[in-house]
Amino acid sequence: MIRGNSSVLSDRMAGHAMRRYFKRNCLKKKIAQEDNAMLKIIFGEVENSVYHPPTYFDNQYEDEWITDPLTVAMIRDIDKSEVVGPRLIESPVLGPIPVKEISGGVKTLILMAFDQSGRIFNASACGDNCAKWIAEIGRQKNLTINLHHVMDFSTVSAFEAVMLNTGAMVHSYGEYLEAAIQIKER
Amino acid sequence: MKGKYHIVVQNNRLRYEMDIRRNITIIRGDSATGKTKLIDLLEQAADLGEGSGVEVLCERPCRTLGGKDWNLVLPNIHQQILFLDEENKFVKSREFASAVKASDNYFVIVTREDLPNLPYSVEEIYGIHTSGKYHDLKRTYNELYHIYSGETFSGGVSPETVIVEDSNSGYEFFRAICSENGMDCLSAGGKFNLKITASGLGKEPAIVIADGAAIGPEMNELYQMMRHKPEVKCYLPESFEWLILKSGMIDGKLIQDILEHPEDFIESREYFSWERFFTALLAEHTRDSHLRYSKNQLNAAYLHEKIKQAILNAAEGVDWKKRMENRNHGGR
Repeated sequence: MIRGNSSVLSDRMAGHAMRRYFKRNCLKKKIAQEDNAMLKIIFGEVENSVYHPPTYFDNQYEDEWITDPLTVAMIRDIDKSEVVGPRLIESPVLGPIPVKEISGGVKTLILMAFDQSGRIFNASACGDNCAKWIAEIGRQKNLTINLHHVMDFSTVSAFEAVMLNTGAMVHSYGEYLEAAIQIKER
Repeated sequence: MKGKYHIVVQNNRLRYEMDIRRNITIIRGDSATGKTKLIDLLEQAADLGEGSGVEVLCERPCRTLGGKDWNLVLPNIHQQILFLDEENKFVKSREFASAVKASDNYFVIVTREDLPNLPYSVEEIYGIHTSGKYHDLKRTYNELYHIYSGETFSGGVSPETVIVEDSNSGYEFFRAICSENGMDCLSAGGKFNLKITASGLGKEPAIVIADGAAIGPEMNELYQMMRHKPEVKCYLPESFEWLILKSGMIDGKLIQDILEHPEDFIESREYFSWERFFTALLAEHTRDSHLRYSKNQLNAAYLHEKIKQAILNAAEGVDWKKRMENRNHGGR
């Protein structure tokens, strides 16, 4: 379960879907943030990583992940679709679709949030419209992602991450970008 | 393979439409824009034909390529348009790059990775967007758009510093221009160093000049760098040789014809990327003239006033005049 922190959320998050999710769930429940919550980024090939998370998701997802308010909010924001039930999504383009038809980006976000296997997921399967969700999940839990390209986190306010290739901590998108272009691994 | 191909892929609910005109096209962009759905439809059509319910309209056969046996399948495919989805990790391998180079097919690759082994053009990096409902109001219409918009590139910049991709003739030309006009000219020593060189600059207006025909693998990071450091712009002609050809200083109706629609003249198996074709074209058409062109060393004739001005005039979007006027009025 992703945990929320009310003091951080109101000014950091962009997008109505995220605001709705955390207002309805985290703020009311007042769930504490994980103590060691931090987004960690590693570029290039890495052991224990899943290169194509959407395939892994199709074979490993749990029904209860789909109806969790966080997933509902992410599917609404990224896919513009509504979760009808654990096995049914309503898409404005495709009509009623099974869970396996949601976007690869959202599948990867759901794995980052709920998968307990210890695997590292390739965030290059996510578009830049997923960046704010990755940053938010990283604020709530200790999250390591693998990147094979420099993801654009410019839409994320108060961006913070640890660059595992160098050990450097970055405190803004600008610092992240400067650090990322110096790293050769992709 | 040569030529531009219009492709329509559609079923009852979705319609995709696109033009493909080079050997390598990249599709990337936001999640949930329909990239994987496009590949799924093409795969179904290739496997089951009309019985799939998917209609694919194109002069050339369109199909998908993927899986562990790609390298066994590819040598048996010719003159087709091949689509690859992002799960195919091999697209970043040298083996795949060699196969593309030797192939007479066009490749459309869905990936956010930079693929440094493939020399693709900034012009052929697309996203998919929905432009509304089709005539029957039931089908959603999707088309490609350029991910990297031109306005971020040069926008009439009057640079104090010019960064050039390499140290060949193009660098020598721009170094001479910079020297005359009190500008700094830096060679990045390869396209992979452009972003690092640009990142090390101060707040002065700067422009990166590189071969647009092969700069694709660098564009994601360069583009982010430009948005983060707005004083840095890019000017990305197909290549320096293309710029010379465009300047009109080399006579010939054929050249103008080629520049208007290069895709009809450039055989993909012969030229991995277009800048190699333009280099060969320029060398061939100047071989017996005073403008004999060598990529390694600039012929001094290209710095004669009339020719120099014609080349600079061809570089749309870069305001060299402002610099020159400042120089003439005694300013830097």
